[in-house]
Order: sequence, then structure tokens, then C-alpha cells
Amino acid sequence: MSAGTRSGPLDRLLRPLHKWVWSDHDRRVRKLLIFGNVETDGGRDILRASEVTPDPLLRRLYLEHAIDELHHGVLFRQRGEALLRQRGLREGGFFSGNPLPGGHGLDDLVVEDQGDPRLLAFLHIAEKTAAGRFAIYRGCVNDDPETRAIFEEVLRDEVFHMNYSYQQLGRLTRELQRRHVWRARGTRLWNRYLRVAAAIAGLIANTLLTGIYFILLPPFAWAARRAERRDTPGWRAIAPDRAESPTSQY
Amino acid sequence: MKILGISAHYHDSAAALVVDGVPVAAVQEERLSRRKNDAGFPLHAIEWCLDHAKLDPGDLDAVVFYERSMLKFARILTCTLRAFPRSWRSFPQAMKNTLGEKVWVRGVIASHLGVDRRKILFTGHHQAHAAAAFLTSPSRRAAILTADGVGEWATLTAGIGARGEKPGATGPQARGTNISLLREVRFPHSLGMLYSTFTAYLGFAVNEDEFKVMGLAAYGRPAMVDQVRKVIRRTPDGAFAIVPEYFEYQTTATRSYSSKFVDLFGPPRPSYEPIDVGTAEGRRFADIAASVQRVLEDTLVDIARALQQETKLPDLCFGGGVALNGVANARILAESGFERVFVPPAPGDGGCALGAALYADRLYFKNPDRDVPDHPFWGPAVDAAHLARAAREDDQQVDELDEAALIERVAADLAANRIVGWMDGASEYGPRALGHRSLLAAPHAIEMRDRLNRDIKHREDFRPFAPVVTAEAADRYFELPAGGARLARFMSGVFPVRPEWRAELAAVTHVDGSARVQVLERSMAPRLHALLEAYGRRSAIPVLLNTSFNVAGEPIVNAALEGYTTFRRCGIDALVAGSAVVTKRATASATLAKEHVA
Repeated sequence: MSAGTRSGPLDRLLRPLHKWVWSDHDRRVRKLLIFGNVETDGGRDILRASEVTPDPLLRRLYLEHAIDELHHGVLFRQRGEALLRQRGLREGGFFSGNPLPGGHGLDDLVVEDQGDPRLLAFLHIAEKTAAGRFAIYRGCVNDDPETRAIFEEVLRDEVFHMNYSYQQLGRLTRELQRRHVWRARGTRLWNRYLRVAAAIAGLIANTLLTGIYFILLPPFAWAARRAERRDTPGWRAIAPDRAESPTSQY
Repeated sequence: MKILGISAHYHDSAAALVVDGVPVAAVQEERLSRRKNDAGFPLHAIEWCLDHAKLDPGDLDAVVFYERSMLKFARILTCTLRAFPRSWRSFPQAMKNTLGEKVWVRGVIASHLGVDRRKILFTGHHQAHAAAAFLTSPSRRAAILTADGVGEWATLTAGIGARGEKPGATGPQARGTNISLLREVRFPHSLGMLYSTFTAYLGFAVNEDEFKVMGLAAYGRPAMVDQVRKVIRRTPDGAFAIVPEYFEYQTTATRSYSSKFVDLFGPPRPSYEPIDVGTAEGRRFADIAASVQRVLEDTLVDIARALQQETKLPDLCFGGGVALNGVANARILAESGFERVFVPPAPGDGGCALGAALYADRLYFKNPDRDVPDHPFWGPAVDAAHLARAAREDDQQVDELDEAALIERVAADLAANRIVGWMDGASEYGPRALGHRSLLAAPHAIEMRDRLNRDIKHREDFRPFAPVVTAEAADRYFELPAGGARLARFMSGVFPVRPEWRAELAAVTHVDGSARVQVLERSMAPRLHALLEAYGRRSAIPVLLNTSFNVAGEPIVNAALEGYTTFRRCGIDALVAGSAVVTKRATASATLAKEHVA
């Protein structure tokens, strides 16, 4: 494993969990399909960056990067679909993919608002994390040479992405290079926190709304059903004088 | 008077600006945000419309939203209550989804634009569809039909429109524009939802891939019409009603068809399985597509025929997402008794932004009627200099030519079987590339279709490509009924290719011998018309393959650099914007950049 693709300590600690995730057909398929989406979304974001950057060299590099990411998306998706064709999926399941998927595709990146230094720092961190994790995943799929070959191809590209983004960040920002990288790390951590917080808030909201549904709604449901019985399908005339105020939302 | 129309929050958000009764700008959010079918609040689109007209939000007289959001919320809540207790899973999702932003539209608009809340108005969803269809057509008086999945409650409406007098008209004849929707069919009974349910069943994406069902239908026989009629029956008054036991879209957002539906039609197609119409399973899916297509057409034709007999009008204006079904539109024209059928270039929800603004102008503010220019080009213009600069920086071959030389050069490229990305002027409003953001190619050999699918579009083999032909030559190659050329103006009808030309037009002729042809008048897109004529002089056939300038999963390109990055990463041979022609140079790939860093 090269220094560029060394996994983080947390990922190394979680290696048994990763092995467990990848050992199951369904989970493997779901992971591959999620990666397909994440890489494709990320590719589109970087493509956008190539369209908005004023720097000609960065435009070419972003474009190359975007082409790689879009290609990875296709590889992951095709492999996931091939595994699906071999054997379908069970319904539901305890673990259906990564609840907090990494990669830049799901980070709601608004490329136009970033500016090249921030974007390059973000890309460097994201690619470095992804490379470390993909290196672990590659070791988890030794029983599946085709999937392993995809990880190997992706890893080769990730090294280029990590390197060019860091090098170009240096070209643009010189002595502020490390500061940008640390800021990107912080932003990434903050975004992760926001995703966890949003997931927890969603869970609380679901619980409350489900409670409301069963406690408050039954009488209204009964009334709605009675009213439905009076509805006859087919044409319903629209009264010419139907009051429709331009300012009303009703 | 300056009126901004907005459609947002469900799919295909858009903004449109009407000044003194005439559209001056309209664009879908996805073209600017670069997120396909972007449903978010269309800030980019609004910003562009205002910039284009050099206006500030404070200059606006009104901002009109395309539907009554609280009424829509009431429908969602009512349907959830009716499905109690089966709707317990969908209820929290529906509430979070709706209460988050969608019902607070007035506040959202006021906060984003900083306009007075009293200036924010609303139209009904189908009123906006009706206005988009009628007020953009050249008809003075027409029957109106709108059909889509669902708006607030209505899924299909029928009515009449009459244009008011032009500015300056006085006297007893002076009257205002009127759009009277006479009757409606209400949710859950919906032709749009029926078609979307089959779209999902056939393994395609809802609100996105409905046209794939139409394309697949040509490979099948309507052998399962009886089964389809079991899930949607006709009512004695000439409308229709779905049979709720076969559907779940009215109760849950997770699946649109029920187990009983699967019992009737067999197992659904997994989305990851390719369709092979050569296999029994592939033919089953094609037969199902053909059957639902047939039922949709029959139902629409009957409804349109009854409307024609009732109104005795020669013109029909047809709006709503269902009006994107070109096969059904052609049958309505042929069989309903209407002499002309007008479908706007953006009949879906994206077009409602313009419809809402026009509706407010003519009906709320009672402004005099104005002719709306009969073209779809209301979006941002392409900047040729931008393209030329970027391409030169990347070491691509760039030629800047005068108009005549450019047309001849591109015609020669096309005749040499090169694929050309064609960007010309303002972008189209609506889902179709009508000659300003198109990929053009020779229409003759089937290999061209396969090449486009393999190298650029990555589409299913069964999907056809569309032709564009000059209006002068259209009848020679296509069997256009009376009124057909009008319907084909915005690629809204599917018509037979004349049998003697099918071999010569193999890349654009569908398996059933039909084509979704665009009939181009010189006045609508003069450069493309000139290109067609130049190509005709070389090949003797002034027809080109015309498909949208994008790759799968991405919106149609808008700005020059979006066209350029698309050109660079797929098998397009040449790119044209304004006077600039960029030709792909193999050695000038981005790999050079990689080497620069290595």
C-alpha cells in the first residue's frame, strides 16, 4: 500500500466491520450501487468546476478528473448490476448501504460558490479519504476478482486526483496551502456532524409525526372516508363563479 | 407591466418573465443549476430572467406561483387520511416534505426576492397549463385540454379559451381574454399517474422516462388492452376512473402499483435488467407498453372528440405533461375532429412558469391581448467567443468562419458522417432540443443511430432518434395530415415516414415506420434551416437527425462551456457556436494536463 492510499486509523480499526459489510451479497451490491451514484454525482460536480473556473490548466485537470469519476460511476454501477443479475436482492435488510456515505458526490457541493482554492483543498481531502477506504475495500473482496480489479483501477486514479489537487492548491495559494487543507478537513467534519444531526432530527420528527398520526388523526380519517364515499368518479363541473382569488393559496 | 412566473418544488422548476404582455425570458432551473429535473426553488432561473431584462425584483408588478400550494397540501393530507391506517409510513414523510418549504411559498418568494407579499399571486396548476397552451398559440379561440399526473386536485381539465382584443380596441366588441375550464377529473383518477405507474412497473424512472414507454410500445402489440382496461375503466359521462385496488400511488410514495396489479400483469421489470425485445419477457414488456399506450390514446381521443363536438371549435390547445406523448397527439389530430392541435414547446410543469405569468397578465390584470412570438427560444444565449477562447487554450482546432462558409463546412461534416454539436442563440424553453442546443447527424444509416447510442447518449437500443426537416420538404418524406406540420413545429407529433424513404432515413425511422419529426420553418431557426438546405444540396435529402445536446442523466447544455465539456468527453466530432467551429484534435486531450502534473 502506498503512502498515498494509507487508510486512516479509524478505518483500520473498523476493518472487521468493513469485512462483514462486504462479505454479504446484498450489502456488496448496495455498496457498489451507492458508489456508482456517489462517483457519478461527484463527477458532475467536478465537471461543473471545469466549466466555471477561469484557470485554463485547472479546467483541463478538472475535466480529466470528472471523466475519471464518471467512468468510476459506470464501473461500480455495472458491477452492481452484474451481481444483481447473478442473484437478486432480499427485501429490506438490516444494513442497506452506508448510512453516512462518504465521497464528494453527496456533500451538496455548490461548486460555483467555492472558488478554486477551497475546492482543491476539499477534493484533496475527499480523494485521500476515499483512497484510504477503497484500499481497505479492495482487501475485503479478494473472493471477487472483478470487483477487486475495479477498486484497483479506481485507486490508481485517486492517487492522481490527490496529487494534482494538492499540487495545484500549492500553485494557487503557496504558503496558505496547509491552512486550506485543514479548513477543508474541518468543513468536512462539520458536514458529517450536520448529516448525523439531520438524521437524528429526522428520526425524532418521524416518531412525533407517527404518534400524531395514531393519536390525533383517527376521527379526521373517519370523516375523510365518509366524505370519500360521496365522491363519484368521472367529470366534475367547475362552477363558473368558483371563487379563486389571485392572492389565495387555497 | 412586469410579471414573473415561477414553477417549483415538484419537478422541472422554472422562471419566466413577461413584460407588457410578451415573454422576454424563460428558462428551466436545471439548465442553470446543471441538476437534471431540478425541483428546487428556481433562484438561478429567476436571477437570469431579471438580469436579462435588466430589472430588479422591486421593479416587478407581480410574482405569480403556478399552483395553490395550500390546496395541494389539503389534497395530500386528505388522501393520507383516506388511506388510514395503511398510510402510517408515508404520513411522516409527506408532512416533512410538504411542511418544510412547499406550503410556505409566499414567504419563500418574499424572502428570496424581497418583494412585497401583496405582489405574490397564485394560479391553479391546470390554469397555468391551460394558459401555457392557449396564450402561446396563434389561435384566437380554441378548446383547451390539460392532462398531467396531478396538480392540486385536478388531473385533467377541459375548457375554452378566447383571446381578447388587441391594444387600442374600443367599442362594444372590446373584451378581455378568457380561459374557462368547464370541468375536471380529480385525483386519484389520472391518466398521467396511470402512465407513470406503468413506467415504474416497466423499470423506468417516474417523471423522467415516460417517453421510453412510448418508444417501447412500438415494439409490442396491444395484446393486453383488456387487462389495462381492468385497472382504468371509462365512466358513463365519458371520463375515466382508475380502479384503486390496483394502485398504491394514492396512499404511499414508495410504490405506485399494488400486488393485485402484479398479479394481473406479471412480475415487474427490474430496472437493472436490459430490455431485449427478442426474448419472450422483452416482448411481454413491449406488449404491456403498447397496451397502456393504446388505452391512453383511446381515452384522450374520446375526450377530445367529445370536446370538439361540444365546442364546435376547429382548434385544440393541449397542455400538461401528458401532451408530451407525440403518438397520442397525432391520433387526437387525426381522429378527434379538431383541424389544428397546438401543443406548446414546454407543456409540462416547467412551462407553467410562463403560463402562470401570462394568465395573470391577461386574466388577473386584464391587460389587452398580445401575440406571443411562436418559438421556444427564451433562454440564455450562447457566447461563441467564450467557446473559441477555451478551445484554443486547450489546443483544439478552432475555425471562425463567416455564415455561408460555416454552413457549408458543417453540412460537409454531416455528409461525412460526423456528429456535430450545434449551439445557436438562445436556448429552448422545454424538454426538447429544437435546433438551438442539438446534436446533429446524418439520418440515413442505422449505424449512425447505434454510434450515437454507444458513444454519446448511452441509451437503450429501442429508443428512436428524431429527424428535423425543412417545412418546404416535409411532405415529401413524412405522411403529415392536415395540421400535422403545425403539431410537428415543436416535435409534438409522431407521424409515418413515407415507406419509400424509410431505408434512406433509417437512423430516424422507428421500428413501426414512424418518426417524431420536427418541421422547421425558416423564420423559427434560420441558421438550422440554412444548414438543412445546404445538407440537402449535398445529400439530396434536407433531413437531419436532431437529438438533444446532452449525455444520459444530464440536462441539455446551456452555456458554451457546457457544450464544450460535453464535446470533449464523448464522441462528438465537431462543435459549433455562433461563428466558431471546434474540431476534436485527438492529441489535445486532457491527458496532456495529466502529464503536466505527473
